[in-house]
Amino acid sequence: MEDTGSIVAFWLLAALTLGSALAVVVIRDLIRAVVLLITSFLGVAGLYITLSADFVAVVQVLIYVGAISVLLLFAVMLTPRASRDNAETFFQIPAILLTGLVAFTISLVSLDTDWTVVERGGFEETASAIGESLLDKYVLPFEMAAVLLLVAMLGAIVLVHPEGTEEE
Amino acid sequence: MPVLAKWYDLRDLGNAVGAFLDWIRDLGGPDWIPYVVSGLIGIVAILLWLLVSQLAFIWIERRVIGRMQARIGPNRVGPWGLLQPIADALKLLLKEAITNRYADKPLFWLGPVLIFIPALVVFAVIPFGEGMSLADLNVGVLFVIAITSINAIAIFISGWASNNKFALLGSMRAIAMLISYELVQAFALLGVVIFAGSMRLGDIVAWQSEFNTWMFLLQPLALVAFLIASAVEINRSPMDISEAESEIVAGYHTEYSGIKFGFFYAAEYFAAFAVSGVVVTLFLGGWTAWGLEEWVPGWLIFLSKLYLVFFLFIWTRGTLPRLRIDQLMAFSWKFLLELLFIHILVVGAQVLIWHEGDYPAEVVLPIFAVINWTLAVALIVGWATFMGHLSPERRAKRAVLTQELGAIYYRPADGHGDRPTRPLEEA
Amino acid sequence: MAMKTEPFVVNIGPQHPSTHGVFRMRLTLDGERIIDADMVIGYLHRSMEKLAEERSYTQNIPFTDRTDYVAAMTGNLAYVLAVEKLCGIEPPERAQWLRVIMSELQRFASHLMAVGVFANDCGTWQTPVMHMFREREKILDLFEMACGARLTTNYMRIGGVSRDVPPEFMPAAHKVIEELPKRMDEYENLLLENEIIIARSRGIGVLTPEVAIDCSLSGPMLRGSGVAWDIRKADPYCVYDKLEFDICVGTDGDAYDRFLVRLAEMRQSIHIVEQCLEMMPEGPVHSQITTATAQPGGAPSAPLAIRVPAGEAYGRIESPRGELGYYIVSDGGPAPYRFHIRSPSYINLTPLRDLAIGTTVADAIVILGSIDIIVGEIDR
Repeated sequence: MEDTGSIVAFWLLAALTLGSALAVVVIRDLIRAVVLLITSFLGVAGLYITLSADFVAVVQVLIYVGAISVLLLFAVMLTPRASRDNAETFFQIPAILLTGLVAFTISLVSLDTDWTVVERGGFEETASAIGESLLDKYVLPFEMAAVLLLVAMLGAIVLVHPEGTEEE
Repeated sequence: MPVLAKWYDLRDLGNAVGAFLDWIRDLGGPDWIPYVVSGLIGIVAILLWLLVSQLAFIWIERRVIGRMQARIGPNRVGPWGLLQPIADALKLLLKEAITNRYADKPLFWLGPVLIFIPALVVFAVIPFGEGMSLADLNVGVLFVIAITSINAIAIFISGWASNNKFALLGSMRAIAMLISYELVQAFALLGVVIFAGSMRLGDIVAWQSEFNTWMFLLQPLALVAFLIASAVEINRSPMDISEAESEIVAGYHTEYSGIKFGFFYAAEYFAAFAVSGVVVTLFLGGWTAWGLEEWVPGWLIFLSKLYLVFFLFIWTRGTLPRLRIDQLMAFSWKFLLELLFIHILVVGAQVLIWHEGDYPAEVVLPIFAVINWTLAVALIVGWATFMGHLSPERRAKRAVLTQELGAIYYRPADGHGDRPTRPLEEA
Repeated sequence: MAMKTEPFVVNIGPQHPSTHGVFRMRLTLDGERIIDADMVIGYLHRSMEKLAEERSYTQNIPFTDRTDYVAAMTGNLAYVLAVEKLCGIEPPERAQWLRVIMSELQRFASHLMAVGVFANDCGTWQTPVMHMFREREKILDLFEMACGARLTTNYMRIGGVSRDVPPEFMPAAHKVIEELPKRMDEYENLLLENEIIIARSRGIGVLTPEVAIDCSLSGPMLRGSGVAWDIRKADPYCVYDKLEFDICVGTDGDAYDRFLVRLAEMRQSIHIVEQCLEMMPEGPVHSQITTATAQPGGAPSAPLAIRVPAGEAYGRIESPRGELGYYIVSDGGPAPYRFHIRSPSYINLTPLRDLAIGTTVADAIVILGSIDIIVGEIDR
């Protein structure tokens, strides 16, 4: 992280990520919040690129920007109009407590970690390495995650499938 | 002067740019200057090319569809109507860009901007010629899929922000479609990646050139699936469901006027060029053409192929009716995906056999091509039969001719089609 | 777990790319599914029936052009048949044949529009309808030759037709008629066999014959449901009893069948015109009627004003859209006492609400397209 380009990019992307993340929390309109969340995701993808993690960055765009946010948009659209803004909720105090706890843990960990600079020259092929480790060393967790997702999907379908509408 | 020595070689713009960059590098200065300059050259070149192609193809599309529709097409502005696209653009610029009073203004403004991004950024990874790609990422294929998925959000935002029911219906349809077809797209490209063994678009072109074959010869099913998925992605007929003008006026961009509409119009072209470019790169050998690239600049070969693929989209637009949204979704989930699963399995097995057995490519690849073509035809016909697409209820028929006045020829329909017969009393 | 969703009202029309004029469907949607539909008409109401009570019988003929503006000839014919029935006039032979030629050509032209626009509603990007226009143009040229007008022809007269066709009409008509079957092959191949059109229209908007009869439907709507009913056979007017043609019926009663029936009827129309061109005799085209304002020169021509004996009459024909009837009550005055139009478009709309409910927006458009409405005829 010694050259200027990376440093400028890092600070810009960090500002983008955190700024839009903050705006997500503050802003009232849910759809705008989702759009800002997408910006935040894109910022994270950019950060991955500065870390030479090209595969993770692209997957971040594919999964978070392309899929998760669309899911959120759908969820917002299916919410009744009345509850479509970021109104005050009962959860304010527990949420503040939880956030504070998470923030405390993260700062503790980051202060406690012995940060070392990894020497790596430029971009490397990470995709094939990730693929090999997923299908070789970590094949069991990978498969389990796949099965879990499948089960979750089936469960969701069963839950939302209305009774008696077999023939649609 | 190293630049001049190679400037003669105008056949290859990539060489010329490379020489220019070498020259800049020789001038000294910080390392990032040639880097930034090369990026700028690439961006400016791509944008200029896109603008010119778009203007040309607006004219070509209108004329070609005019011919297809037994009419002349625009022929008033300039010779043969050549200046019509410019007149169109001027008209769009001068028209008032109305923002509807209850629109969500920031998002309404963001929609047309956002829809441009994926269409433009995809070109960054496409190799126009040897060494002529802005950023030949090693995850190029994944990048293409990831970037084009942003399209869905742009469409949703513009449809939502318009505060118009047709626009909302259009964006709902668009998202549902895009989600369904992203998988098809990914699986279609997966087969290519398995064969080429790399996600870098340049490597895939090189692979096709090395084995003197084009990917569509080896994987016809993947090409068909990818073309269909791309047509969905860029809202081209017969998948222009999200802007179906006979149903929901103009879909998600109903409320847009003036240059904001122009942005959607242009983005549609850019996206169409982008997917054509991806098809050419992955399935049609990119900038290579069995040795022709020795004589003709690679980028010319690439562009001719790209325009040919784009013409296919014009052609379908001029001829095909539109599917219904549920039929299109069913086609993805119940038809294309299943076939692609089998396809991926077969392709994976083939690559395994090839690499494990260490057979020569000249022997193995023709066999694979024959297998995959027969498999594709068999799968399509077989699955269509299995799904009942070839049953008499789904086929064409002719009217019954009769002289018998008052006779009733109604054949009680039992469960054919998608919807049951509803007797009138129920309503 | 049922998801709570808000119904959503969408106005398809009066300003909409595919409502065939200023027709409005007020659809209540649940997602894409239609849970309620209201048909709102009246945007093109011109009070024709009342206006006609103030004008002489001959002056009313141009109104009949403008009810069904896609099929003006058949509108003319139904009206003059009603008046002729009331007066007891028998038009000369040649006029009868000319009427049949014109109404069959008109049927062809009108069905071209219906078929092309239906394909448009199925989502083709104007291509079929443009090809249809190409053929329709030829027929309109024939009309122009015969009566000087293309769309609002005003050709039929009480007691005949306004004028005989010029000598160049017959070769031109022969030429057009020879060309059309080839085009029909093309249309049947490209449209009827089209996988997507089949997918979009088969099984959509199914009308059983019982419902069709109960709704008093007629024309291709009724025949699409498999009922072989055609006024040209059931109550032959002009010279239809001398002609040989078939009734075209569907078997499923869906949108595709209505489409199919129209295409098949187009072939029958060609066949009828072919026979007419061969069999048409020479002679006068207008019977002499004692008129209030006689034409100078003595040649039989249409009177501007006639007095019709008191009474009532109903003239009906098979128009391209179904049974087109004109009900005329005369009190012996110069203008009709009551002038009523039984317009097939209006009556064919009856089942639309029931067909539309439960389908999707896209289907509703296809169903509406398969009904082939002309708003000028609905609102009058």
